[in-house]
Amino acid sequence: MTFQTLFAASSGHIYIGNTIWYLIVFAILLVLVKHYAWGPVSEMMEKRRQKVISDLDSAADNRKKAEVLANEREAALKNSRQEATQILSDAKANAQKTSSQIVAEANDDAASIHEKAKADAAQAKADALDEARAQVADISVTIAEKVIAKNLSADDQKDLVDQFIKGLNK
Amino acid sequence: MEKSFVFKFLGLNFDLAGMIGSTLMAAVVLFVCIWLSRKVELRPNKKQNVIEYLLDFTDGIVKDNVSDPDARKHLSLYAFVLFLFIFCMNQLGLFLEVKVGDNMFVKSPTADPVTTMSFAMMTLLLSFTFGMQKFGVGGYWRNYAEPVSFLFPINMIEEITNFLTLSLRLYGNIYAGEVLLTLIGNSLAPSFGITTMVLAAPLAMVWQGFSVFIGSIQAYVFVTLSMVYVGKKVTKE
Repeated sequence: MTFQTLFAASSGHIYIGNTIWYLIVFAILLVLVKHYAWGPVSEMMEKRRQKVISDLDSAADNRKKAEVLANEREAALKNSRQEATQILSDAKANAQKTSSQIVAEANDDAASIHEKAKADAAQAKADALDEARAQVADISVTIAEKVIAKNLSADDQKDLVDQFIKGLNK
Repeated sequence: MEKSFVFKFLGLNFDLAGMIGSTLMAAVVLFVCIWLSRKVELRPNKKQNVIEYLLDFTDGIVKDNVSDPDARKHLSLYAFVLFLFIFCMNQLGLFLEVKVGDNMFVKSPTADPVTTMSFAMMTLLLSFTFGMQKFGVGGYWRNYAEPVSFLFPINMIEEITNFLTLSLRLYGNIYAGEVLLTLIGNSLAPSFGITTMVLAAPLAMVWQGFSVFIGSIQAYVFVTLSMVYVGKKVTKE
């Protein structure tokens, strides 16, 4: 190894050795920077890029899903409203039907009760008349007996009794 | 001009200033990168944001100029490291110049045509590789004869001019910046004692700020043009 102080390039020497030195230094620098800085950083940037892409995709997906859900919910809401009105109107109709039925039944009942009462009253009247008639007949017979008792002979009386008995048999 | 310490090893000349500067800045780039990406999470922290911004920036350069998705994947790392490395090397000479005796030991490595040519050559070789991978060796050479065959020599010359403009643009900008800074610091400041020293300070500051700007722009331009050259090789015209 011989060291020798020489003049710079301007004085006629071209130091090719430096070129080799630069190449070596640059190559080592490239390898080290790639290993320690450029590699991890660019890898992370790529990872972040992928993450952003996937996040955007999933966000779009979610939005679509939410839209579908909202539509479904709106449809369901509309449906339920319709159902509610249907139920309400059904209930109303039912109530009306029931009430008219009840009224009709009540009317029928009242009419039948009225009828029955009328019949009962007529029956009672007839019964009372019959009874009265019987009693009047009895009383009049008794009165007549009392009135006639003194004037009748025994034969007449016997006839009368017979007649009465006959009348009873009839 | 400043001399630098050159030694001979295995029959090759080595310039110590460039080696020290580039190694130093490579270490800086490496440690900054490791420090920024110590904790990499899905929900980024502040440090991670910084390195992700840088990565996005260089990825943007690659994406704008290379349409081939296969090449893009590899070029992303290349552009990222190249940008940071050249940027740091551009800035090194602005705040740190170490001179021992007559020899420079620390300065911007990119203020040296050999350095910039090394990186331009790297890009050029990379573009050859990508082109041959994409079209095969025969297809790659046939692309030089596109769109018409008599353009072949012109396309060949373009390859050389690309290499030269890419490297010399960077070298010229950084070198000029350093020269002017040295002039302000070494010649203007001590010329009339304390008065010029006080006056030179803001001037040096302004020029340093401007050089930071130039250094950033040149790093960006270098990476962009590298990607343009590589991108041209992997797309059929």
